[in-house]
Amino acid sequence: MTLILKQIFAFFKLLNSDTGLNQLASGIACGLILGFAPILSLQALLVIIVAFFFRIQLGAAFLSAFFFKFIAFILDPLCDQIGRSILESPSLRPLFVSMYNMPLVPLTRFNNSIVMGSGILSLILVIPAFLLFRSLIIKYRETVVARFKGTKAWKAFAATGFYKWYATYSKLYG
Amino acid sequence: MSEKNQTPNQNPQTKRPKKKGPIRTEAVIPFVLVTAIMWVYFSLFFDSHLKAGFEWIGYQVVGAEVNIAKVETSFFKGTFRLQGLEVTNSEKPTHNLINIGDIRFGVLWDGLLRARIIVEEMAVEQIEIGSPRKRPGKVKPPEPPKPKSTEPSAVEKEAMKLKEQAIEKAKKDYSKNVLGDIAALMGGTSGDDQIKNIESSLPSKAKLREFEVEFKSKQKIWDDKIKSLPQGKEISQLGDRLSKVKTKDFKSPQELADSLNQINTILKEADDKFKQIQGTVTEVNNDLKTLENQLKEIDALVKKDIKDLESRFRLPKLDAQSLAMGLFHQYLDPYLGQINKYKGMAEKYVPPNLMKKDKNPPTEIKPHPREKGVTYEFGRPNSYPLFWIKKISASSKSNSSVNSADMKGLITNITSNQALIGKPTVLKFEGSFPGLEVRDILADFTIDNTKDDSQIGFNFNIGSYAMNGREVVNSPDVTIAFKKATASLKSRGDIVGLEKLNLKLTNQVQKMEYNISAKDKTIDEILKEVFAGVPTLSIDAEGGGYLPNDLSLSINSNIGPELQKGFEKQIQKKLDEAKAKLNAAINEAIGKEKTKIEGDFNKIKAQIDGEIKKVNDQINAEKSKAEAKANQAKKDSDDQANREKKKLEEQAKKALGKEGEKAVEDLKKKLGL
Repeated sequence: MTLILKQIFAFFKLLNSDTGLNQLASGIACGLILGFAPILSLQALLVIIVAFFFRIQLGAAFLSAFFFKFIAFILDPLCDQIGRSILESPSLRPLFVSMYNMPLVPLTRFNNSIVMGSGILSLILVIPAFLLFRSLIIKYRETVVARFKGTKAWKAFAATGFYKWYATYSKLYG
Repeated sequence: MSEKNQTPNQNPQTKRPKKKGPIRTEAVIPFVLVTAIMWVYFSLFFDSHLKAGFEWIGYQVVGAEVNIAKVETSFFKGTFRLQGLEVTNSEKPTHNLINIGDIRFGVLWDGLLRARIIVEEMAVEQIEIGSPRKRPGKVKPPEPPKPKSTEPSAVEKEAMKLKEQAIEKAKKDYSKNVLGDIAALMGGTSGDDQIKNIESSLPSKAKLREFEVEFKSKQKIWDDKIKSLPQGKEISQLGDRLSKVKTKDFKSPQELADSLNQINTILKEADDKFKQIQGTVTEVNNDLKTLENQLKEIDALVKKDIKDLESRFRLPKLDAQSLAMGLFHQYLDPYLGQINKYKGMAEKYVPPNLMKKDKNPPTEIKPHPREKGVTYEFGRPNSYPLFWIKKISASSKSNSSVNSADMKGLITNITSNQALIGKPTVLKFEGSFPGLEVRDILADFTIDNTKDDSQIGFNFNIGSYAMNGREVVNSPDVTIAFKKATASLKSRGDIVGLEKLNLKLTNQVQKMEYNISAKDKTIDEILKEVFAGVPTLSIDAEGGGYLPNDLSLSINSNIGPELQKGFEKQIQKKLDEAKAKLNAAINEAIGKEKTKIEGDFNKIKAQIDGEIKKVNDQINAEKSKAEAKANQAKKDSDDQANREKKKLEEQAKKALGKEGEKAVEDLKKKLGL
């Protein structure tokens, strides 16, 4: 839990800094896949492992997974329809029969209509989401953060001893 | 702004942090550490913690000490083994309630990787019941009584209620204590005094009264209807009007047309009246038919009343099967109660589509249908189903406890999809309970869902068991019990499509010593003589039908014909007398009234038929007359027209004379005719 909280604080810190743009955007994109996939599934585990071993912002991934879960719930009827049409397609049946009897693949629960539908939808959306959130973060930093840092209140706060002490601490311990 | 850019206030002199690569290398060490800790924990401590956990949960659930000798699990092999399970008997802490030597099973990784649970073999061995403990087990102190928690659960209550209802029904249905009834009949106390008071409670009598009321109300309606029918005067008026219509000597076509119009009007009126009569005939006939059916129902009710009274006054049937049914129902009642209990529970809880219950159950709020989506199975023959336990073996051994058994059992192919593996689930067990003198138990159950209709079959046999002190009949008049006997049981049955049940049970009793006593001396003698003359007593029960309600059971025994012979001479005459008395009582109660009502009904029916026929004949006669008259008028008119035509032709010929004839001849020549 501490680890997750630490990551979430790091997410806000990173969001308001000038670095980690790709880390944040890829974290949100991973969160999209996590939000659309069932918690106990192979694909969720794979995304978590990838997020853990690659430099992807975990806080962004967990926070966005939380919000994308709600969106996935709202889109359940649509995902169900997409999943059914794919799983009931006669031309794909031999493929699904082989996949169903392969090791590991059934752990993705691809044979469930909602899992299949939301999986397909998340795969379609993951790259546009990465690009969209990347540009949104840039926009946010240019408008909101830059303007906030230009305010007198922030400049006054940045000149205080407390802020200087915090900046030194942050530089030393991260 | 890119991440490579620096903020304007950043000091260029400060040391730039080392750029980090895309792989989080610093996560490797924590990951390896966590994995190593988990490895150590699962290798060294997990099994002992699991053992302690089981013991604690067991103590909380059972309320007595639970000991486990050893728990072994292996992640890589996918195995679980529990040895030396001992559950203390809370009533007798020096002994175990149950002791299981070894429980083990292993799941196939091959299956787990495919999200399936496949158990190659599960073994539950060395089961002992009531074995002594090395030291007395700890018993959980009783909790303070909670009024609500001490009550049975809703399901238990439901089960008890169903059981009681079933037993009550069985008692009601089969309360025929045949020997007691025979004794009562022989003693002449079969309810003579009550026969006089039966009149008020006869359903046939009540139905007859209902019929009488309805008949009277209908009679009034019929009277009104007949009165509203065209009367003779109205019909004869039509005849009078018809006779006045001119049907010959028409002076002009207009006159003829007027006559025909008048006849048509009269015919139409006659037709309307005919339709009115026909409508009334149909209505009255329907009413008569309904009442006739009711009279037939009354006849059937009278017959049923006689049968019910025979049962109420306990007139025994003297055929072999009825004697066997009456004699052994008390003996089989506990088993029937049990069957009825489960039948009732099945009816209540099995899904309606399986039991063909109400097709339109009340609408209920259901969870979001898309919450779980649809899960498809893409299995192929001989692939793994979602769940499959290939084999479960169980064994137990006897000890000093009376309830302990030497048993061996095997269950094969418990699975979520029998069709996929093409094998039914089979349960077999065999063994004995030496302490209870029950030997050679052999049971074989098969649940086969590989075919279109599911089939559940079972064979359950007991080679021999003691029946010492078992009561067959216990009534105030007669007591029959086995002082000592050895019996064997064979039963087999099947349920097809969870609906159609077939059941056959054969019970053979040998080496019998009876305790027989009857109040009536004659019965006592007959019973002792009959039972002594039968060296092997067989009780056969056969049942079947459609679950849950359409079930029947018949019981036969070789003692039935013997008892029939024994009692026939003694009581047949008395039985006939009693039946005659009942018939006479019924006849007296409703016979006269019924005959009178039937007479009235037939009389009214004949009267109505006559009235309607009379009016019908009259109107038909008038209709025929009108039609004949119309035809006559048309004929007369045609004749008159022909005559006039001929006359005119002759007159024209005369007027033209010879000149005319010549002119005609010339014209013919010119034309070359």
